[in-house]
Amino acid sequence: MTSSSVPSRKVLSKIASNRLQKEVMEWQTNPPAGFKYKVNDSLQRWIIEVTGAPGTLYTGETYQLQVDFPEHYPMEAPQVIFIPPAPLHPHIYSNGHICLDILYDSWSPAMTVSSVCISILSMLSSSPAKERPADNDRYVRNCRNGRSPKETRWWFHDDKV
Amino acid sequence: MEKQAQMRKEVGNACFRKDKLGAAIDSYTEAIALQPNVAVYWTNRALCFRKKKEWTRVEEDCKRALQLDRNSHKAHYMLGLALLEKEDYTGAISELGKAWDIMRSIAPHGEKADELWRVLAKAKFMEWELTSSEHHWRLQNLKEVCENAFREYSFLHEESGDSAPNYLSGQLQLLNEVFDKASRADLPTDVPDYLCCKITFDIFTDPVLTPSGITYERSALLEHLKTVGNVDPITRQPLKESQLIPNLAIKGAVQEFLKEHGWAYNMA
Repeated sequence: MTSSSVPSRKVLSKIASNRLQKEVMEWQTNPPAGFKYKVNDSLQRWIIEVTGAPGTLYTGETYQLQVDFPEHYPMEAPQVIFIPPAPLHPHIYSNGHICLDILYDSWSPAMTVSSVCISILSMLSSSPAKERPADNDRYVRNCRNGRSPKETRWWFHDDKV
Repeated sequence: MEKQAQMRKEVGNACFRKDKLGAAIDSYTEAIALQPNVAVYWTNRALCFRKKKEWTRVEEDCKRALQLDRNSHKAHYMLGLALLEKEDYTGAISELGKAWDIMRSIAPHGEKADELWRVLAKAKFMEWELTSSEHHWRLQNLKEVCENAFREYSFLHEESGDSAPNYLSGQLQLLNEVFDKASRADLPTDVPDYLCCKITFDIFTDPVLTPSGITYERSALLEHLKTVGNVDPITRQPLKESQLIPNLAIKGAVQEFLKEHGWAYNMA
């Protein structure tokens, strides 16, 4: 999967762009610790740099998240993936897809990019081992046609990690 | 007579749909000639003029329509737009406000009422921009006059000793603080979080309270219930539309806030 495969690139609705502008402003004055928003001219795709928290398996490592917003954000969840190389983690596939319930079934419009980032960092921080999900190869093979993780029927591993 | 006028109007409507504005205007004019006391003929013609951006004609037709039917929200609305074009903000706000009130009594939570609110908010913001820059300019002038008066005074009384320069700078600093405070309400900052919806991040227009005690913008929450599911977006407690209660206290607080901080209308 390449970073350019996005299902639909419909323009953002008025509510969505309004809200994203507010999120950008909020991020600029109060960015979540460990994250850096890489400024580009697109409101609809954010690239965010994550740095592993001190004292965890990912200390000092940096990764890039790609966040794509659907037309009806925030009623619909953003698509959040790691741009490969993705961190080695039991819930992160080698193509960058992340198995995290709030990105799919448990999304709520009251969440923000910032709160999603914090969840992802806490998922990284609590990882017991640097390894891929058991079904990594099969899953990644199934995604070869550029399928979005939002089309996956996720079977959430557990909520301990 | 009545039938003929009605027919002219139908022809006008057909032309309008095909974007033949000139022909539509002619048909409505004929309908008006046959039956000048029907408000709809005037508002329909005004709509054509609006599309052609002939704002004085829009204004004239809407005023005629309102003489015939004071509750025509279309006439109030288009008259408001015409006045906005003329930069008559007070007039525009009054007309748009009437249109909004009428619309809200017909369809309280419809899209049209929301749209009207946005236009009204825009007008109020434009009015604020104008009055606040005037106000700012006048304050600035007054401040300069005061500063100069202080300087002159201390110059004339220089013989009063070494403490004079200190005294002067202290007075000038105080003056600065006073004027700073006076212009602060006009400085756009952030709307407090408790006046903003957790979904839209905008200041509330129609806040509703859920059984979890959280307030949302009605239209955004209804959209959430429809597309995401029947739960409170923050607490995930089960939630149905029938459980929502208008939050009048917050609504009042929003109105108070907007009165003091006109810049906050800039959200539409």
